[in-house]
Amino acid sequence: MDEPHTDSSPEAPVESKATTDRGFEQLYRDHLRDVYSYACYRVGNHHDAEDLTEQTFLQAYRHYPRARRESDGRPLRPWLIRIAHNLASNYYRDRSRRPQTPLDSIEPPAARHTTESVVEGRAELRAVMAGIDELPEERREALIMRFALGMDNREIARAMGKSDGATKVLLHRSIKQLRERLDEDVDG
Amino acid sequence: MSMDDLQIEVLLSDVFQPVDPPERFSDRLRDTFSLIRNAAADDLAGWADELTESELNSLKDPRNWVRPVFAVAAGGTATGVLVLVELRRRGRRRRSRLESLISSARSRTGL
Repeated sequence: MDEPHTDSSPEAPVESKATTDRGFEQLYRDHLRDVYSYACYRVGNHHDAEDLTEQTFLQAYRHYPRARRESDGRPLRPWLIRIAHNLASNYYRDRSRRPQTPLDSIEPPAARHTTESVVEGRAELRAVMAGIDELPEERREALIMRFALGMDNREIARAMGKSDGATKVLLHRSIKQLRERLDEDVDG
Repeated sequence: MSMDDLQIEVLLSDVFQPVDPPERFSDRLRDTFSLIRNAAADDLAGWADELTESELNSLKDPRNWVRPVFAVAAGGTATGVLVLVELRRRGRRRRSRLESLISSARSRTGL
């Protein structure tokens, strides 16, 4: 996403309301799908994902001018996803819920051609989904950001409030744990 | 046969496909923001339109700051809209829970 550079010095002119609104509208257009995808994979059903997405954008709207000033021209997607991440954490804390598996409402895609390979492919994907569901929340979340949203290490680090190095290790361990789990399935 | 990290990453890309929000939801969200924006704009325009040159000068006197304070409080209309949106959201959630309770009760009783 190309966010316009904003001078955050005290002398910087204050943006007009119209400019701010236009900027927010662009942010909304660019990232509605990101926030919704993240919400879907975090909460596992479309109804709560809509709720979480709406709350994320309402909170983002309230704090947008300040976030823009402080972003120093960096993309705001990590900030947006961090809001969704905090809201999702509250969602589970308030309701003592456990994240539901994405399988509840999101079927795995079938990208293969013959019936046999479609069945085989879907079984493989279901095994991956089951493995993902067993990962600790933080690892699961890092994988959602990387693969569903296509975020790079730096963006994920900002969204999760970690250093770039810690994020790289987190992703590496998540994939390693998943691979070991799938290997157990194959061997067992 | 054990999988390598690249194979896992390909599978993860297949599993975590981006999800498009339903169109009715995108429309609803856009309407909500228009409502909030318009409410905030009306507040500001209403107050600024009423000010004359002498009133602007008189605002330099702290004794005349009651009105701006009142205007800021009235500027809470936009905030009020946010509260209404939240109440509407909770209402929707309650309705949806009620509907699912009714439908599960119906399916149990076979009505």
